[in-house]
Amino acid sequence: MKSIFLFLTFSLLISCESKPTLQKYFVENIENKNFIALDVSPSILNLDQVQLTAEQKTALQSFDKMNVLAFKINDQNKAQFEIEKAKVNTILKDEQYQQLMKFSSGKEGASVSFVGDDEHIDEFVLYANRKDSGFAVIRILGKDMNPTGIMSMLSVLKTSNIDMEQLKPLQQLLSK
Amino acid sequence: MKKLVITVLLVVFTNTIFAQGAFDKFDGQDDVTSIIVNKKMFDMMSKVKMDATDKDAQHYISLIKKLDNLKVFTTKSTRVENEMRASATSYIKSAGLEELMRINENGRNIKILVKSGAKDTQVRELLMFIEGAKNDDTVLMSLTGDFDLNDLSVLTDKMRIPGGEELKKATKGSKGPKGPK
Repeated sequence: MKSIFLFLTFSLLISCESKPTLQKYFVENIENKNFIALDVSPSILNLDQVQLTAEQKTALQSFDKMNVLAFKINDQNKAQFEIEKAKVNTILKDEQYQQLMKFSSGKEGASVSFVGDDEHIDEFVLYANRKDSGFAVIRILGKDMNPTGIMSMLSVLKTSNIDMEQLKPLQQLLSK
Repeated sequence: MKKLVITVLLVVFTNTIFAQGAFDKFDGQDDVTSIIVNKKMFDMMSKVKMDATDKDAQHYISLIKKLDNLKVFTTKSTRVENEMRASATSYIKSAGLEELMRINENGRNIKILVKSGAKDTQVRELLMFIEGAKNDDTVLMSLTGDFDLNDLSVLTDKMRIPGGEELKKATKGSKGPKGPK
């Protein structure tokens, strides 16, 4: 009996261990020099709470935070770039990341995936890469995000006054 | 018993992969621009609550619910164009697609094929192949689902997909004004 339990726990551990997730990938690379990591909180939107509709408020509450991890290419890390890109591609192929759409041309590519089910989305993953500048993975985390909520979030975004301070680290990626 | 289930599952899965994989090799190639929209996306878009009084929006949503996959591949390379033509031809044969119409516009050949469902206007798959010209891309488009041919004009109005204009002509049955684009 005991041995069965041991076996079960062990196999459970192994199955957890072997499954690479974006979460792990983020943690592993946050200190890596090749990467730029960034956490963005909803406060970035600088919203005037009073002006929001009830719908927009609930949508906003379902949105938790946004994590960004970006790889910037320079002369030394081109080989590394290919390796890391392959890693991200493998992670995103996992079943839990359900792909919504994908765009690619020879030099650049982008995809949008999500975790959860249609009406209860836990995580959105945006992934973009470009041959000569690098790649970026954006995780939008939340609780119970739903399609309607996202639409109202987008409408909020239009009226928001985005706090550029929080996005400063990303400028490094864009400037060459 | 369990083994049987697994075998059946495997067969089913590999089959679907093969069925959808006819053009997947073009995805990610250097000279190819590809746009792929999955069923999940259409599902999700159809769940967005829209104004119930807006007829166009309602029509649009009911159409989106019926769509499965949209794949568009475009290229400027002749090598890839030939490959596309070859895989399209073999796919048309194996999947049993019927030609809906063929247009020759300004020297570009446009072929539109469909796989019909129960009714004549019901479409399970729509395939379009537009030959490239000097400055224009070759376009290969595949749309799967279970929709009505007449619904498509709504879609082409709302989505800007390559070849949308040609599709519109096909669904309306008129050739429209000719002229250089």
